[in-house]
Amino acid sequence: MSIVLEQLGYCYPDTTQGVHALSLEVAPGELLAVIGASGCGKSTMLRLVAGLLPVQAGRVLIDGQDVGAVPAWHRKVGMVFQSYALFPHLDVLGNVAYGLRMQGMDRVNRERAAQRMIQAVGLGGLEGRRPSQLSGGQQQRVALARALAFRPSVLLLDEPLAALDAHLRSQLCDEVRDVQRASGAATLFVTHDQQEALMLGDRVAVLHEGYLQQVDTPRALYARPANLTVARFVGHANLLKATVIDSGRVATALGVLAAETGRRSKGAAVHLMVRPEACRPDPDRCAANRIEGVPGRVRFLGATCRWDFVASAAAEALAASPGATPRSTTTLLCEGPVVATSAVSLAPEELVVLDDHNAGSWRSPPPQS
Amino acid sequence: MTIALYLAYLLLPIALLAVGAFGESWTNSLLPSGFTLRWFGDLIADGSFRRAFWTSLLVAAGTCAAAAVLATPLAYVLYHRGQQGSAIAGRLLASLPVAVPALTLGFGYVLVFSSDQMPWLGTLPLLIAAHVVLTLPYLTQTLVADLRHLGLADLEACAATLGASPSRQFWTVALPCLRHSLLSGLVMVAALSIGEFQISNLIASFKFRTYPVVLLQAFYGATGYACAATVVLLVLALAAAKLSAQATGAAR
Repeated sequence: MSIVLEQLGYCYPDTTQGVHALSLEVAPGELLAVIGASGCGKSTMLRLVAGLLPVQAGRVLIDGQDVGAVPAWHRKVGMVFQSYALFPHLDVLGNVAYGLRMQGMDRVNRERAAQRMIQAVGLGGLEGRRPSQLSGGQQQRVALARALAFRPSVLLLDEPLAALDAHLRSQLCDEVRDVQRASGAATLFVTHDQQEALMLGDRVAVLHEGYLQQVDTPRALYARPANLTVARFVGHANLLKATVIDSGRVATALGVLAAETGRRSKGAAVHLMVRPEACRPDPDRCAANRIEGVPGRVRFLGATCRWDFVASAAAEALAASPGATPRSTTTLLCEGPVVATSAVSLAPEELVVLDDHNAGSWRSPPPQS
Repeated sequence: MTIALYLAYLLLPIALLAVGAFGESWTNSLLPSGFTLRWFGDLIADGSFRRAFWTSLLVAAGTCAAAAVLATPLAYVLYHRGQQGSAIAGRLLASLPVAVPALTLGFGYVLVFSSDQMPWLGTLPLLIAAHVVLTLPYLTQTLVADLRHLGLADLEACAATLGASPSRQFWTVALPCLRHSLLSGLVMVAALSIGEFQISNLIASFKFRTYPVVLLQAFYGATGYACAATVVLLVLALAAAKLSAQATGAAR
């Protein structure tokens, strides 16, 4: 019940699109969320695991067995498609029982098993409906039930919630998690929505242009992105151009700030990542990394606010040489229930220094068991 | 305005034919005078019309059956190999009969099938084959459009992950999904076959003349008689459409 990808490679004809040297492990019962912009290769990866595309390089192992030569219909891989791909000519029961029917199970048994699965996803009573008579959320549940009804060893979810409205999506997120847990299948969950990935994944993998950027727990990914690409993609972040001027000190458009610089040499060009919630409003006079300025636009979000903070020192510098500094380096995106009036401080332990070029090679930690 | 004109051009002749079929006499006036059913009586009494009526039905049914058997796999291949070279041959095959005038095909058949090697001119199978050639492109296009609309590629990929081999994907997903468009496509095939005149007139033998071929004779007689015969053709075409619908419905 595990998935292992070893140096997996696939390239679409006459392009560089696809996946390159992709190595990943999904432990039994684990849900690994894969995020990336559209065209980053995440769906390609799923299709390679499912056997819908031929592996060009590397290996795909399911339960330790190389499945490169096994056709899709013998892999026992449950997959939920973004379009759901429900069979329009079958009712809910027929759809969910389809996998068992292909296995040659007799009608009575397969309908009983399908019935159980339909109950598990909360669609009891709708067995006789056609897909066209169901709402989007119900269709999604049918697709999930169908993918799990024949007890696949692995589950592949291709943007399963993308077509739903926001409210339903967060509700179904929990349901998908529960059903997946109960099935015990090693699961790859592909999404372009990083919030979904952080919420659902035991671990999260970030793909960019076919290359794996980082695999880590949601918390670690958020707090310590391995590079700029990951920092840009996961969560909101202020990314400030900076230069290392000393060990533990970097120069930015907002002034000199204290931050952990690691073993980077003096003068190294880096970026400083500041999460919106790392901006503390109106700190003590002596607080570290204190920046004076004025609040800008405030966006009220209920429990919290997301507000802009315009640093005055940087704004003055900008006024002196118009067009020299883009707005993003003078304005910090901040988040918290209280909006600063005259100053913010950036907690040094929450600042992350990132290399401009993804020089540092990143190594995958072993999967949780 | 355009639509009104179009409808007038389409419906007026049909309406006049219907009126004419029941008119006693109709010469050099806008509308016929008197009311009679005798034209229909004459028609029924006419043996050549009766035979042509059943021949047309038989040809339409045979054309529908053969077209369905040929067009379904053809559409399937065209959909799946849409980008590849082998599709060009298929596309050519499917669109050529539309481009080539039916008259040209008819003359060709006369030449080929009156030879000693293939003396089949005038046989029923040849007539049906000719109708299949004419109607296949329309049916194939209908099916391909429906396959695209359904997103069959996703459905089949999904069936594959659920354990269906390619042949089972075809029988349990593609074919059942296609039934609606197959049905509407066959209605079109039946209507086209019933109304086909050009080729039928050239290659049908005296024994297997289709209704439109015999109908031409009626125009040399009384106007009311010709109108009645045409009305029967119209009803026949509609009935064939209905019949093919029921036949495909029952086959499922």
